[in-house]
Amino acid sequence: MQRESARFRVVINIGGLATGFVGTDLAIAQSLERRYHGYLASPLAPATCEFTVVRATARVEGDNAGVEITHHDGRWFIRRGSLSAEYDPVAARGSAHLDDRPYDIDSLLRIVHTLLLAREGGFLLHAASAVRDGHALVFAGASGAGKTTICRLAPPDAVLLTDEISYLRPTAYGYTAFGTPFTGELGIPGMPISAPVRAVYLLAHGDRTRIEPMRPAEAVRSVLRHVLFFATEPESVQAVLNAVCQFTRSTPVYRLEFRPEPDVWERI
Amino acid sequence: MSRLLGEVHEKALRLGIPWNVHLDLTWRCNLRCVHCYLVQREGPELKLEEVSRVLEELAACGTLFLCLSGGEVMLREDLFDIMERARRLNFYITVKTNGTMLEAEAVRRLAELNVARVDVSLYSHQPEIHDAVTQAPGSFARTMAAVRELTSRGVKVQISHVLMRQAAASYTEVRRLAAELGATYKLDATITPRLDGNAGVLRLNVPDAIWREIYNDPELVGPLMPDSPRSAPSALAELPCSAGHTACYISPFGDVYPCVQFPLRLGNVREQSFEKIWRESPALLRWRAVRNADLVVCRTCELHNVCSRCPGLAYMEGDLLGPSRLDCEKAYARTGLRPAPLAE
Amino acid sequence: MDPVYIARHPAAAWRRLEDEVIVISASDSSLFTLNEVAAEIWECADGRTPLAEIVAQHIVTRYDVGFDEAYSDARELVEQLAGKGILIVSGEPITGGDGR
Repeated sequence: MQRESARFRVVINIGGLATGFVGTDLAIAQSLERRYHGYLASPLAPATCEFTVVRATARVEGDNAGVEITHHDGRWFIRRGSLSAEYDPVAARGSAHLDDRPYDIDSLLRIVHTLLLAREGGFLLHAASAVRDGHALVFAGASGAGKTTICRLAPPDAVLLTDEISYLRPTAYGYTAFGTPFTGELGIPGMPISAPVRAVYLLAHGDRTRIEPMRPAEAVRSVLRHVLFFATEPESVQAVLNAVCQFTRSTPVYRLEFRPEPDVWERI
Repeated sequence: MSRLLGEVHEKALRLGIPWNVHLDLTWRCNLRCVHCYLVQREGPELKLEEVSRVLEELAACGTLFLCLSGGEVMLREDLFDIMERARRLNFYITVKTNGTMLEAEAVRRLAELNVARVDVSLYSHQPEIHDAVTQAPGSFARTMAAVRELTSRGVKVQISHVLMRQAAASYTEVRRLAAELGATYKLDATITPRLDGNAGVLRLNVPDAIWREIYNDPELVGPLMPDSPRSAPSALAELPCSAGHTACYISPFGDVYPCVQFPLRLGNVREQSFEKIWRESPALLRWRAVRNADLVVCRTCELHNVCSRCPGLAYMEGDLLGPSRLDCEKAYARTGLRPAPLAE
Repeated sequence: MDPVYIARHPAAAWRRLEDEVIVISASDSSLFTLNEVAAEIWECADGRTPLAEIVAQHIVTRYDVGFDEAYSDARELVEQLAGKGILIVSGEPITGGDGR
């Protein structure tokens, strides 16, 4: 009786992408609410896309399982560890088997959001970002490059959007960066706000703080290296490449070598 | 629409339940907004006991979503008595207010009563422009203070941004302000005619270029865009609007309409029970029989998928079954394709 | 068997819709639909009637199921709804639920 006795709907809004989840397993609803607190929209809100979720039967340990994304018959098929999902972009609906651990839901959100944003010239970037004076500063880099460090050094008037993954979307006035609940070492979710991007810094450790503008071709290559993208199908890859080109044309890109000292924020 | 929400909504439709009710408790207001659609009117507002009876009737009819609005709803001295009764009847309550009269104590009570959301109107991020619209110096500051108080008490706030010519390009800034305040943002880009049909306020609408910009902003265009969730063929999809089917409006004087923006009078709750009006009003039954296929011009328009045609506006423009030119203009701005009614 | 009392959270908004009950949590973060049996239990959750009595009088008789099975399912359901903050579960009668 209890299996189907209640159904739920929860809507998570990250980067302006309202993603609905419906299901009967209330434990999943609970994980969603806990994990994405601050990013919950009203359960009555219209969703950009919606998933029916059921609990995965096979539990896969470890979170290093590779992502497998295929596209056929107009649908996306996603597999990663215990997560398996399919998504129909025309109906904007999908279904997913997942574990109620945060990792699967994070993966599903990121993968689907990369696909959704690619259509409009947006993308997800391995980058910390923060809002200062009404504009967002984006710090891209691989793990260990200093994303969390730069966030720890941030002055009090900077509002942290994320120390791990930034959402970037084009608007009439250039690109906007959005706060996300995805955290790196800092372990603190970003604020659910957004701001137009002022500049992007590619992080590198150095013995002193040095900022250099990047040439266009180098900027594209460097930013591209930190873009999260999972699909390999040519049309989607081209869309992401175009998005990054558009982004680097409208946004200054710098290489930032820094020593972990507070004055780095005054230099940028 | 969401599977779950869609199912619930379809069911409410099949059962003929007034699922969403907008109840204006007063048309009095402390501000004098230049674009207001209300027409001042004398006559006694529903008293607390009358409102209570209406709430009981609505609960019995199955209404879940109750929007309390005005005028300025805070001008009702018995507002919290009304809300308390509504909460006892288990309604999901949202409140629309300009926020200028929301002192800390009122906010505390709203939080205590578990009001689901407070919608606060804002016209600009710049105090002088906002205050020029409301014609009340200092209103911006008071509204801001109220929003901060609400969010700090954990009450959800939506900034309803009415975009007009005076601040045509301000939506990005107001959206940012809403984000800073911890509120959601809702853009209302259309100024509608006054309920008496006076269209003078329409000159306050933003220029087409801004509409075009809005419809190219992926954050603002909701699920109306062509590649967004499509409703499966359903009973709902054949209807011009949920107004009068699962939604309705009740004025402070007890008049019942399909929607606040649809001045087709269905009856008055002082003369008849709400249920009788909802089940038997001849005007309502006539409106309920209308299907999209009956819309003389719109049924052949190639833009119907991206159009938010409002039957209330069409009715105010003179033809319930005709197009609403304001929506034609928006569909034009959205697509760059000129709908038939604008070709003349 | 220790008595269990259940009460609807006073902050939840809800309405019966034919054979279901629709509930929205106080924090406005989740929407629930409860099926026929769960809806029955929900409507009986007045804080005063023990869950066992609700199950015996409203579920066992109407749905032709054994008490033990129905009761254990009902326990699981009420714990889940309590976890979602829309139901109060207690070993004592409850005042202050929406039955007041």
